[in-house]
Amino acid sequence: MNLSFDRESCIGCGACVEHCPGHVLAMSDDGQPYERYPDDCWYCGVCQVECPEDCVRVIFPYLIR
Amino acid sequence: MKETDTVYADFLIVGGGPAGCMAAIRAKELAPELRVIILEKAEISRSGAAGRGMDALNNVVVPGISTVEEYLEALEIVTDGIFDPTISRVIGERSFGILKRLEGWGVEFPKGEDGNYIVNQFHPKGRFLVEMRGELKKILARVTKKAGAVVVNRHPVVDLIKDGDRIGGAVALNLENGTFRAFLAPAVLLCTGGAARIGLPNTGYLHGTFDCPWCNGESWKMGYEAGASLTGFEYTAQSSMTRDFNGAGQSTFIRHGAWLINGLGERFMRRYDPERMERAPAGTRARAIMEEEKAGRGPVAFVFSHLDPKTVDLIESAVFDVERPTMRDYFRNKGIDLRRDPVEVVMTEVYLCGGHGLAGLVADAWGETRVPGLFAAGDSLANPYGFLAGAMCMGEAVAERVAQRKAGPPRNPDTKERLKRLEMLRRRHTRGKLGVPLRDFEYKFRRLVNEYVAPPKSARKLQRFLDETEGMVVEQDDIPAEDPHQLMKVFEAKAGLFCARMAAYASLFRTESRFGLYHERVDYPAKDDKNWKTRVIITAGPEGPVLEKERK
Repeated sequence: MNLSFDRESCIGCGACVEHCPGHVLAMSDDGQPYERYPDDCWYCGVCQVECPEDCVRVIFPYLIR
Repeated sequence: MKETDTVYADFLIVGGGPAGCMAAIRAKELAPELRVIILEKAEISRSGAAGRGMDALNNVVVPGISTVEEYLEALEIVTDGIFDPTISRVIGERSFGILKRLEGWGVEFPKGEDGNYIVNQFHPKGRFLVEMRGELKKILARVTKKAGAVVVNRHPVVDLIKDGDRIGGAVALNLENGTFRAFLAPAVLLCTGGAARIGLPNTGYLHGTFDCPWCNGESWKMGYEAGASLTGFEYTAQSSMTRDFNGAGQSTFIRHGAWLINGLGERFMRRYDPERMERAPAGTRARAIMEEEKAGRGPVAFVFSHLDPKTVDLIESAVFDVERPTMRDYFRNKGIDLRRDPVEVVMTEVYLCGGHGLAGLVADAWGETRVPGLFAAGDSLANPYGFLAGAMCMGEAVAERVAQRKAGPPRNPDTKERLKRLEMLRRRHTRGKLGVPLRDFEYKFRRLVNEYVAPPKSARKLQRFLDETEGMVVEQDDIPAEDPHQLMKVFEAKAGLFCARMAAYASLFRTESRFGLYHERVDYPAKDDKNWKTRVIITAGPEGPVLEKERK
């Protein structure tokens, strides 16, 4: 896992999913974002920057952490 | 418009990065009646290598500070004489105009205490690097849409359509539902960036590359197969980047005066390029770092403690606030404070890039390849060290040619054959888990790049790579893909392997050493200007790639 989403403050707007340049994220059935393709993440931080509620934290892929 | 309908455009742009956006904007300015469509793999306001942000325009000829002639002289040094001055001249001449346009749209170019743009030196000679702030990509995307260009997001292009000898359009994969969609056009611009996933990074994390990992040489594979020529593939670039994080910083650190030191605390560039030190050509710097490591004087690091605190603030604002905000978190996790601590660097994996290297499609001063109607710009075009400004300059140039020509629709496009072939491929990729898993396939060819294509190079090793990967070219059509995303990744991996093989062919062909580390041939250790001060051109022949020296 490369990212953590604060599920308490996430409003489910989908901005992180919409903007992810790697098509890494998707919305789950309960309206929350998740890493559908975690191996394709570049830890660029677009999801973090686009989040209006500041609920995305980049924790980096284990191999580079 | 039904999904299965073929869509027509007057100007089809493959890739919505800075080159593609600028091409769309300029085309609509000059000929508002043109139907301009951008096919974008991601979402245009955040896509590609510049998607998160860029902290500078690396190459602008600012009046009063530098001249176009000085820019060409600097490039002669940077490229070791292997570049096409025609395109670089276009970039030099247009670059300041691009800066002014961006400024007019709201991109920030901070001013120094003297009220002028902050222009620093990064090239071995001359000052061309202008500090930049703000949301460049968001602004470009907004202006592009306002200009009336149609943007189709999440549609990576997987094949080109031909119209006899001319270009006829492109086929994209709709990531939402997995269908292939044909787009016809008499003018197609390839600008999908460089190829990042060629070598394997030290970390072994496949997407932990220096360059944007979602750009993997698709324009080069498709352009080559359509009949265009490639060049510069023996320039297998590697950068000196923050260990493990592997991205952003090198040019920012160097232009603001950071030093490279070895494990003994020596400013070792003195040994390799005493005049230019850290600003030596990239290949020289790369070789120096490798030599220091090899001699047991590592680890190598950037240091900042000698710099004025204000300069360190500037570096942090450039890297942390603009280019890669996650780097702030990374340094924090590692306990690194630039004011106090060295930042360990390693050489990145091998990558290929038009704007940060020499690789790309061969084109004329208007970006047109040898396939009529097929253009290239940005990192996909051979515009050595054209960087971000070069992408936008050439996007503009392409648009001017397209708008002036106003070609009619393709007469006899081979759309049906293309779609049939793609559907056949899809069946092979989705018929179950019969083939090699994508991850293994990609890991293997990239590991082989590290072993056989990365310098030091030799004919034996390069040939070995070509032999070892020959079977993979067949295996690649059976890699399983469970959904549209994975199918896109398969196309990316195929393009990556194609580029790696082209790098091996080109490296084998150039029987001399050049570009510092990047083309170090142990079997031909000397530079040979008499025979090799020329570009290597690769074109598809009936029995495989045909390599030749450029005819002047």
